[in-house]
Amino acid sequence: MQTIKTHQHMTTPVIAARSVGSRVLRSEDPRLLSGRGEFIADIDLPGQLHVAFVRSPVAHARITHMDLSGVRDCEGVHLAWSGDDVLPFCEGIVGEFAVEGCNPTTMPLLARGEVVYVGEPIAVVVAESRYAAEDACELIDWEFEELPAVTDAHASLAVLNVANSQLPNNLGLKGGGSFGDVAGAFERADKVVEGRYYTGRVSASPMETRGVIAKYGWASKSVQVWSNTQMPHFLRYMLTAYLGFAEQDVEVITPDTGGGFGQKAHVYPEELILPLLSREVDCPVKWIEDRRENLMAAAHAHEQFIDIAYALDNDGRITGVRTHALGDGGAYHAPPWTMAVEPWCAVVMTPTGIYAAPTAEYTYTAVATNKTPVGAYRGVGYMAGTLARECLADDAARALGLSPFDFRRLNVVREFPWTNPQGIVYDEGSWLESIDVVEQMVDYPAFLQRQSELRKKGRYLGLGLSVFVESSGESTATSLEHGLGDVYHDTATVRLGPNGTANVAIGLSAQGQGLATTVAQMAADTLGINVEDVSVDTARSTAHAYGSGTLGSRGAVIASGAVARAAGVIREKVRAVAASMLEASPDDIELVDGQAMIKGVSSSSVSVADVATAIYFDIDSWPDDFEPSLEATQAYDTSRAMFSNGAHAIVVELDPETGFIRFENVYSVEDCGTVINPNIVEGQIRGGVVQGIGASAFEELAYDESGQLLTTTFLDYGLPTMDVVPPFVIHHIETPSKHSAAGVKGMGESGLIAAPAAVLNAVNDALSPFGVVLRDLPLTPEKVLAAMAGGVITTSAPTAEAVGEDRPK
Amino acid sequence: MSDTPEERMDVSMSINGRTYRANIEVRKTLADFIRDDAHLSGTKLGCEHGVCGACTVLLNDSPARSCLTLAVQANGDQVRTVESLSDGHDLSPLQQAFREQHGLQCGFCTAGILMSASALLEENPHPTRGDIVDTVSGSLCRCTGYQTIIAAIEQAAAESVHDSSSTEDD
Ligand code: FES
Ligand code: FES
Repeated sequence: MQTIKTHQHMTTPVIAARSVGSRVLRSEDPRLLSGRGEFIADIDLPGQLHVAFVRSPVAHARITHMDLSGVRDCEGVHLAWSGDDVLPFCEGIVGEFAVEGCNPTTMPLLARGEVVYVGEPIAVVVAESRYAAEDACELIDWEFEELPAVTDAHASLAVLNVANSQLPNNLGLKGGGSFGDVAGAFERADKVVEGRYYTGRVSASPMETRGVIAKYGWASKSVQVWSNTQMPHFLRYMLTAYLGFAEQDVEVITPDTGGGFGQKAHVYPEELILPLLSREVDCPVKWIEDRRENLMAAAHAHEQFIDIAYALDNDGRITGVRTHALGDGGAYHAPPWTMAVEPWCAVVMTPTGIYAAPTAEYTYTAVATNKTPVGAYRGVGYMAGTLARECLADDAARALGLSPFDFRRLNVVREFPWTNPQGIVYDEGSWLESIDVVEQMVDYPAFLQRQSELRKKGRYLGLGLSVFVESSGESTATSLEHGLGDVYHDTATVRLGPNGTANVAIGLSAQGQGLATTVAQMAADTLGINVEDVSVDTARSTAHAYGSGTLGSRGAVIASGAVARAAGVIREKVRAVAASMLEASPDDIELVDGQAMIKGVSSSSVSVADVATAIYFDIDSWPDDFEPSLEATQAYDTSRAMFSNGAHAIVVELDPETGFIRFENVYSVEDCGTVINPNIVEGQIRGGVVQGIGASAFEELAYDESGQLLTTTFLDYGLPTMDVVPPFVIHHIETPSKHSAAGVKGMGESGLIAAPAAVLNAVNDALSPFGVVLRDLPLTPEKVLAAMAGGVITTSAPTAEAVGEDRPK
Repeated sequence: MSDTPEERMDVSMSINGRTYRANIEVRKTLADFIRDDAHLSGTKLGCEHGVCGACTVLLNDSPARSCLTLAVQANGDQVRTVESLSDGHDLSPLQQAFREQHGLQCGFCTAGILMSASALLEENPHPTRGDIVDTVSGSLCRCTGYQTIIAAIEQAAAESVHDSSSTEDD
């Protein structure tokens, strides 16, 4: 196992928590509640033109003819481009994952020659208004010859047809690893339990669709790009790398963003085309995606099959785990994450979960299909991996006649630090405690009694448990620990003004999580001032602090670490001047509640505001050799991979008439170390769990056999609504990390990571009188009704032969 | 291309008590009129198919999907949008309740939900939890998981009767 050398930017100052830990109301809210937020669609630049895309209506075809002259002649149209027109500027975006066994693809900005999924952009139109641009799109004259569409991962694996000529054997990625004597564990096993799980294909569906505005200034050669991206600095880098814009002249601006959940953590063709169009027409250009486009062309998510097996000894202990993931990657690697985002993450990031399995083996395979590329959505890989691991745990518990709580207690890691077979080190956690606590929360004996009484009346209640570990705060160390070499670090700039109030800029863009509030809490406590006296800018412009992207549950850990470090530099200056003013030693000065005071002598103090004023205006109060800038920029990265953990239990009731699942209650235990703001953490849990409920029961991007996407509105793609969502009981455990500012750990994805397993386990618990176990998501009413009649519909059911070597042996 | 969509008409309507007049294409939606002609961008578009509820405004005091309403259909009508809810100094009690209950994250769905909830509370100042769920189930929110939205509306309703303190969602 490779570990990184420690660097200066990996340590943070120790702070006294005042505002950290409290339910500070969000500073973002007054604007957002009063309609004063500024989202990308709300931004209008003088003289702007509007952009619309023509998208492929077929899954797989060869373009035989393309004529845009009708479009160009249309009134109000300024420009129309096909793939040939954009090619001289950019060949496409390369998707390649830095592990062995990856076959890269190049995603063109506009398709040329071949279209490979419904929704792929084939032409773009710039016109006076969005209405005019959309009208003109209708006038495209093109012809195509349809090619066979590959719509199923197993058919793709068998290479019956080729989905994308760039991948002649349909293989985007293939690899694996083996740790310890897995074969021996399975040979010696007293019992082997195994199953194939399927996640379904879903869309993150942020309420705000994607959008891009670009403004090129020919005189200055500058380009400004507004994008509701989760990775503004990476986008800026891509604009220089792919389009050749001079780095110093490129600025990416992220406005208020209406949810991202990973879908906006990519670099999309649209983001690279708009700046080119602006340069070409010499006007600002604006594109706001509509919902149909969002469901068709923004990254899809999660679809994969996971074959998992546990070897169990005669005490019921897991002695080996085999996980084989087959991801349906869609037609291209979605840059920058690639098809690895699901199958690789699912098997590599957490093959063992909370269980003390001594041996592990995995393979990951991603295949191309004629469907929208699969990218990131909250809980990448983790959701599928957790679904398989936790549902198989319930299978094992049933096979052993143990309660789901007891099976997990039997197998849970009890001593830290724990190194899993792969070499991933877990420094701390409340893994056992989270099982115990959630069992008490649901009052398991009382539940069992209620369940059996209701069964007699023909009512089917089920309780499902899911216990999780979440990698938090994506960092250089996390990347290394999982065998990659990605470097992450983020900066923050903190400035203290003459009145003793602070302005903070971070390099992470925010999508609604409340990041401005949480990092203000961290800054306030580091500087010893009130949280109301801190104002935060979240990556409004790449001209300010640097960031590696809001993803991988990084926000709270990484941004607050950078803020604590930058505020720490200022703090030392304030202490030095306060010491000089109070005639004390800087080491004896503490900053708390707006005061700089001599430790233990509260009568001997001066306000932080007075110290700040003195630093700006009163040279006599300075100590010798003082440097008066009250602005500091510091970087932060965690020195070690860190993991939060917890558990969800969900109670459901099945309706034997309709097959609908009624969600009765969610019980959540979350341990993300020190909680900066419980409101925000609870909001992340509720939102994530409800997305998990959606993915398990309501949401499915459905394709027909010709590769036609059938779900292109929210009428067909059903998000959970208020009437189906249950109330929550939430419990916090705090096991702080020793390596982050204040002991914070990230937790933004745990709800969606773990809820689907809890739902599937709950449904299977409710189905136990029928002797049926379901393993495919989503749990549609048809599947539930069939199960209650004793049958299993596996929408995804591939034949065992089709997978051949990929089945666990 | 047919000429019909580009046919133009004069419209005049009151939005948040101020009169807006314009000559517009008949196919222009009320949402686009509010956002682009009246420059009130608080009303959001999440689907333009009438499903998500983000674009909900009050049309003559009743909730309406402004993405499915043509601006010309609102000719002579009274429209209220999210910008009308606060007095320009403080949040309204309903908005404040959303803030206290963490009833929003990204805020993109919020305008529509606030307008639906306002119409509900105007018509029925003491809604039950069931009334709230029935009304607001027509709005999609991808961030919050909804429970805190229910709690916020309950809090606003409770406060309009007596200054009681906040309630918990769970
Ligand atoms: S935008 Fe009108 S209902 Fe979605
Ligand atoms: S708060 Fe983001 S969609 Fe509701």
